[in-house]
Amino acid sequence: MAMRGSTGAYTNGTRLMVDARDVHKYFHNNEVLRGVNMQVLRGEVVVVIGPSGSGKTTFLRCINHLEKINRGRIYVDGKLIGYRETGDGKLVEDSERNIAGIRAEIGMVFQRFNLFPHLTALQNIIEAPMQVKGIAREQAEARGRELLAKVGLAQKADAYPARLSGGQQQRVAIARALAMDPKLMLFDEATSALDPELVGEVLKVMRQLAEEGMTMVVVTHEMGFARDVADRVIFMDGGIIQEEGAPAQMFSASSNERLRTFLGQIREE
Amino acid sequence: MGGLLQWLQSVVTLNHFFVWTYVWKYTPAPAIIQGAIVTVILSVISQLLGTLIGLMLYFLRRGRIRVFRISADAYIWFFRGTPLAVQILAFYTLFPYLHISRPLRAIDPFSAIGFTHGPGPIFLDSFLAAILALSLNEGAYMAEIVRAGIDAIDVGQLEAAKSLGMTYSLAMRRIVLPQAFRIIIPPLGNEFNNMLKNTALAAFIALNELLETGRLIGDANFASLELLVVASLWYLLLTTIWGFFQGIIERKLNASNLDPGAPRPQWWQRAFGFGQGNAGVATAVPAEH
Ligand SMILES: Nc1ncnc2c1ncn2[C@@H]1O[C@H](COP(=O)(O)OP(=O)(O)OP(=O)(O)O)[C@@H](O)[C@H]1O
Ligand SMILES: [Mg+2]
Repeated sequence: MAMRGSTGAYTNGTRLMVDARDVHKYFHNNEVLRGVNMQVLRGEVVVVIGPSGSGKTTFLRCINHLEKINRGRIYVDGKLIGYRETGDGKLVEDSERNIAGIRAEIGMVFQRFNLFPHLTALQNIIEAPMQVKGIAREQAEARGRELLAKVGLAQKADAYPARLSGGQQQRVAIARALAMDPKLMLFDEATSALDPELVGEVLKVMRQLAEEGMTMVVVTHEMGFARDVADRVIFMDGGIIQEEGAPAQMFSASSNERLRTFLGQIREE
Repeated sequence: MGGLLQWLQSVVTLNHFFVWTYVWKYTPAPAIIQGAIVTVILSVISQLLGTLIGLMLYFLRRGRIRVFRISADAYIWFFRGTPLAVQILAFYTLFPYLHISRPLRAIDPFSAIGFTHGPGPIFLDSFLAAILALSLNEGAYMAEIVRAGIDAIDVGQLEAAKSLGMTYSLAMRRIVLPQAFRIIIPPLGNEFNNMLKNTALAAFIALNELLETGRLIGDANFASLELLVVASLWYLLLTTIWGFFQGIIERKLNASNLDPGAPRPQWWQRAFGFGQGNAGVATAVPAEH
């Protein structure tokens, strides 16, 4: 692996939105990520698939430093995530403020929505823009209503999460992430907690985002979505990337035994 | 046999030594009302400070600095493991050694603002010793309550807040604590009910709060038991009024339950202490992986 100094090849002008190099992650003695290398281009939609426990969620959480990595480096838009490089090439943990600043540019959508239950849909959306970015209330609200309309929930601005269906909650969560104007959106099984009839409305919003050119890393079991929307599909298993390629090639022409077994299991479900 | 009956009759009617007219006379007496007000002031200040201390202890225990974590645990261990009465006496006894008792007594702010109806002045050193002991003691209990409240909030809330670019302190302030607060409210209310009664221990250190005021008047008038009844009536009144407010506050905040549809105890159940079976129980959401 090539060393990169702080003034190295990656600047904000790079075409790479995500550049993960040799990422290792342990939970105690359990090595969950065993050297993940992944590059995501600006505007690209990458879908990550793989069996349960293969490390998909963990990897996604490393990208915005909700998990600390034990080895390797992750750059987002040219910025090293979670660490600072000292003069002699060593890594030290970055300040909380800097980490927060980088996270503010990365949207994340969780499997369980994680809406703030004490706030209405609109309040959920304007909270971070106002508190983190210091945007004035009127502006934040105007933008918030715009985003609610975009996800088809203009009527639900004043509803509390407990009064929304799962699909509606997840769409609010997407709007909440978008309100920070992220460069990159991370989706962790955004539809897995939903009743089957509610999956479509969330996928539709995600498709629309992809069409608008948002850079997205999407962990999902929705193979239809992967086939239609992904520019590239990545198959993770056992903490490493086993195979990656265009959807068509991955879903029909792969010679990787593990991938074919995995796809076989998915189809049976 | 006749002697026993006579004894029983005198016990039941309390004819010979219990005079009900004293009770009616002293219950609304200015001295007693003033004592009750001192009790309320003492309780409110100590509960507020105790809650702040409890919050601080939570963050010390959750923090990165080992010495702070251990100190906080030791603090809680100590204040929960020794009698409140001892703590109150200890602070009162400590003040003369620090040479602050006399200067404090000389200030006498209570007389200055018209608290002159009691059997004697309200000593500032007694008052401060009581506040100190009561809040430090309460802090140790509130630390547990605050911890239970914050721990009941799904970690996904903090993570969602962080993923939006919030720092830990901002996420705590805006997202986690407001939710934890609703869970904390019912046990906090019960703590305040206890506090109203625990302040009576300040009678040990000559603070003219409700009990001490009643005790002094009772002794001077050979009506000790009557004045204890008077004080008890006032404690009952205070805790009942508090129960009423507690019910209103909890309804307002949808306390301890974030689902607005769930049934909640009526105010009268709160006031009289019934129907609190599941107060403070939060529905925990399992964390995702
Ligand atoms: N906080 C944690 N502490 C300890 N082990 C963890 C933790 N989070 C995840 N793991 C373990 O790491 C491994 C990878 O988990 P991860 O959640 O990343 O898998 P996944 O690919 O997202 O699976 P799924 O499809 O079920 O969501 C699993 O074995 C899991 O038990
Ligand atoms: Mg997962």
